Amino acid sequence: MEQTFDISEEVRGGVPIVSVSGEIDVATAPGLREQLQGLVAAGHATVVVDLLGVTFLDSTALGVLVGALKRCREAGGDLRLVIAEPRILKVFEITGLTEVFTITPTIDEARSK
Amino acid sequence: MSTDEGRQATLVTEDVVELSLPVRADLAVLARLTAATVASRAHFGVEEIEDLRLAVDELCLTVLRGDTTGRLALCFERPAEDTIEISCTYIRHADASSGAAGSLIGEEDEASLSLRILEALVDEHGHDLEGENPRAWLRKRRVTESQ
Repeated sequence: MEQTFDISEEVRGGVPIVSVSGEIDVATAPGLREQLQGLVAAGHATVVVDLLGVTFLDSTALGVLVGALKRCREAGGDLRLVIAEPRILKVFEITGLTEVFTITPTIDEARSK
Repeated sequence: MSTDEGRQATLVTEDVVELSLPVRADLAVLARLTAATVASRAHFGVEEIEDLRLAVDELCLTVLRGDTTGRLALCFERPAEDTIEISCTYIRHADASSGAAGSLIGEEDEASLSLRILEALVDEHGHDLEGENPRAWLRKRRVTESQ
């Protein structure tokens, strides 16, 4: 069954920005994991993940983001999330992950952190 | 039978939806779609419908961890006018092994994240066995009503 999901990537000021849209679940999270692993392996210790276009995410997506965060921090950088939608932010709040990630409402704020 | 009992019996028989799916990542969306439809028919509010969509997704993940074969049997019921109960039973293939290398899930923390999400979004949830098959269930009561 076809799901709405898309990933795009650009680099601004040396920082990669991965923009995700649609639903991140057990079917689509592996694509995100692959993208993030590739960036860290390519030497990008800090990555911004733009979740502004995400309409749904579950624990599989959270697991991928936590895994990527660990890899970024091991490389001396950080994984920053851009979230504006209260529905998506709520998932991070109820799992306590707002204390773990740097979360900002705009891409520019994430880049300047 | 009293009027209340008759109403309850009607709800139980008319509002049971069963869904049987092969374990395939791209079919998880069907469980969410069914949960949303059942919740909408039960006049749950928009936020509660979204909560239930996520909760049923996590329910499936909690019984599936590590296994990638077999089927999922989901049952959506309304035991009361304002309550939805969902169960998800994982029916293994006879030759399936637990924790297969081809797991859909790769991150260790996800099981505890699933439980935290369920804890926050539903009124009650739990696990048991249906025969030899692991089953997870949840119950959510309506607080707000859709317009």
